[in-house]
Amino acid sequence: MTKPNPEPPVAHRDDRRASPSLAARLRAILGAPGPGPARDGELHEPRLALHVEDLTVSYHGDPVLWDIDLDIPPGVMAAIVGPNGAGKSTLIKAVLGLVRPAAGHIRIHGRPYRAQRRRVGYVPQRSSVDWDFPTTVLDLVTMGLYGQLGWLRWPGRTERAKALEALDLVGLRDLAGRQISQLSGGQQQRAFLARALVQQADVYFLDEPMAGVDATTERAIVEILRRLRDAGKTVIVVHHDLQTVRTYFDWLLILNVRVIAQGPVAEVYTAEHLRRAYGGQIALLDPEALLGPAPSAGGVR
Amino acid sequence: MTPLDLLSDYTIQTVVLGAGLLGVASGVLGSFAVLRRQSLLGDALSHAALPGICLGFLVAGARELGSILLGALASGTAAALLMLLLTRKSRLKTDAGLGVVLSVFFALGTVLLTRIQGTGGAAQAGLDSFLFGQAAAILRGDLPVMGAITAVALALVILLWKELKLVCFDPLFAASLGLPVVVLEVLLTMMIALAVVVGLQMVGVVLMAAMIVAPAVAARQWSRRLEGMVLLAAAFGVVGGITGAVLSAAGSGLATGPLIVLSVSLIVLVSLLLAPERGLLWEMARHWRNRRQVRTAQVLATLHRLAEAHEDPAYPSEQGTIEAYYGGAMGRVLRRLESRGLVRAVSHPPETTLHWQLTAAGLAEAERGLDGPSRRGAD
Repeated sequence: MTKPNPEPPVAHRDDRRASPSLAARLRAILGAPGPGPARDGELHEPRLALHVEDLTVSYHGDPVLWDIDLDIPPGVMAAIVGPNGAGKSTLIKAVLGLVRPAAGHIRIHGRPYRAQRRRVGYVPQRSSVDWDFPTTVLDLVTMGLYGQLGWLRWPGRTERAKALEALDLVGLRDLAGRQISQLSGGQQQRAFLARALVQQADVYFLDEPMAGVDATTERAIVEILRRLRDAGKTVIVVHHDLQTVRTYFDWLLILNVRVIAQGPVAEVYTAEHLRRAYGGQIALLDPEALLGPAPSAGGVR
Repeated sequence: MTPLDLLSDYTIQTVVLGAGLLGVASGVLGSFAVLRRQSLLGDALSHAALPGICLGFLVAGARELGSILLGALASGTAAALLMLLLTRKSRLKTDAGLGVVLSVFFALGTVLLTRIQGTGGAAQAGLDSFLFGQAAAILRGDLPVMGAITAVALALVILLWKELKLVCFDPLFAASLGLPVVVLEVLLTMMIALAVVVGLQMVGVVLMAAMIVAPAVAARQWSRRLEGMVLLAAAFGVVGGITGAVLSAAGSGLATGPLIVLSVSLIVLVSLLLAPERGLLWEMARHWRNRRQVRTAQVLATLHRLAEAHEDPAYPSEQGTIEAYYGGAMGRVLRRLESRGLVRAVSHPPETTLHWQLTAAGLAEAERGLDGPSRRGAD
């Protein structure tokens, strides 16, 4: 399952078409959709929840993600791990069209993100917003429905009911009317999760949902995510805590600018892969706890 | 002039209407600017309007509000786009970008203004009122222009309410839903430029930023939801605007802009002090209440320890002992405990001073207190 790819990509993609017309080459340069195997309207790798090919993203000329190829099947709970600056958040942002890739293509259930927005739920990092914004918990959760509502329509009774239902799932219904600035860190994270739950998606992306929350909240979040997976949804989580990877997840992607390894946790979670991703940093972590026998709490199906 | 005369005065009517429009536009759009942490954007946009005002005047050849405001809007928008470009394409930070654009445009405007004033002529009269604002310079014919601009801005806010709200709160999530975040941000910036344009004549380019920021900041203190904040900011803007404008136009001869800004600032001051939950006085009261609760619990615990040391639950502790321990008068704390039925005053002859004894309830409370902080809210 590992795909080490040490060499920079060479120009091989144009070889697929014998002699591309000027228009096709222009379209390729301008990034506009054109005829070809990966055209927007056509299915490409539809059996995968997430398919990423040749993805490169750079900020100010430095590659943050380099030549990423990855596949995640539907119905798994997948962790993305890697050291700081490995590009974990950037990968999610690229998938959701929030950063523009320099190269590569991405498909969700066979189609580009643009065409699959309704099937995707997103939980950004909790620290990415100002929690002193004047709004209530119910309001915040209702925001998850703004995309489905469309322009010029205001949320009404239906939306309110859906939001309350999601708050019920995360155990925050009693706080629906509370100002978001009065929430604890764990409650903020659960409110964010509820906002993604109302999206009723097939694939969920969560950016560090367990960062800085208490143990009770962490258990509650994992429980909800497992229920989503058991209902056939795909859950993809940027995770920072190697200790819990084997307990919580059944699929693993180890990232450090490139893909170090990917596949079922049991196969991918090895000392060799971790060392290649984290380098010397792994010595600072406790190897006994990280690499001993897998905890029995039953994350792997 | 009596207040009644004031209201029937034609000029004053015009001024009040103008100030009202200004208050609504700047309050509503300022709320979004403040929540996006772009308070200084209003400053840059208003200073950047000056060259446009002068160019509008030069093109029209006279002090004609329509072309002047169009010029102001055009140069304000140009400055905003330049700022966006600078911060996105170069590694300049937002504050530096704002500073650069603001000063360059204002310098350009000042050069043009002095050039126009140098040529003399009656037509340029009133142009310098755009610096610090002059309510009396507003003509009845200017009102429809100001009204139309305000109406357009308000209509956009109402139509795009949930989108603007989401873009201000969580632009990443907004983008993931497919909202055109950059377009909405540019639109919001242009609408703030519109609000600036509405206020230019009355407040002037130098102080217009305060009208964008102040009503919104004051309103944030009192409101829990964006709806409330925006409505309240509009109300504060109207009150402050009208107060300052009437004071100025009623004959004091003082520049209108500073007076408006001062009246709005008064509202801000009151809000920062008094607003429930967020106000400074509110904070202080909460702090003081907490201290009193802690002190009361401490004194109860001390009485309990003294009783334990004497192996007598009903041991009468002399008030002087408690006061020596805490280094100050404890009469009020003890009376408070007494009114809650936790202690009772007793005499302990031959001593003539006041002594205090734990009641049964006080003993139970003190023992509960030892297990952890009391769950009871108030004392």
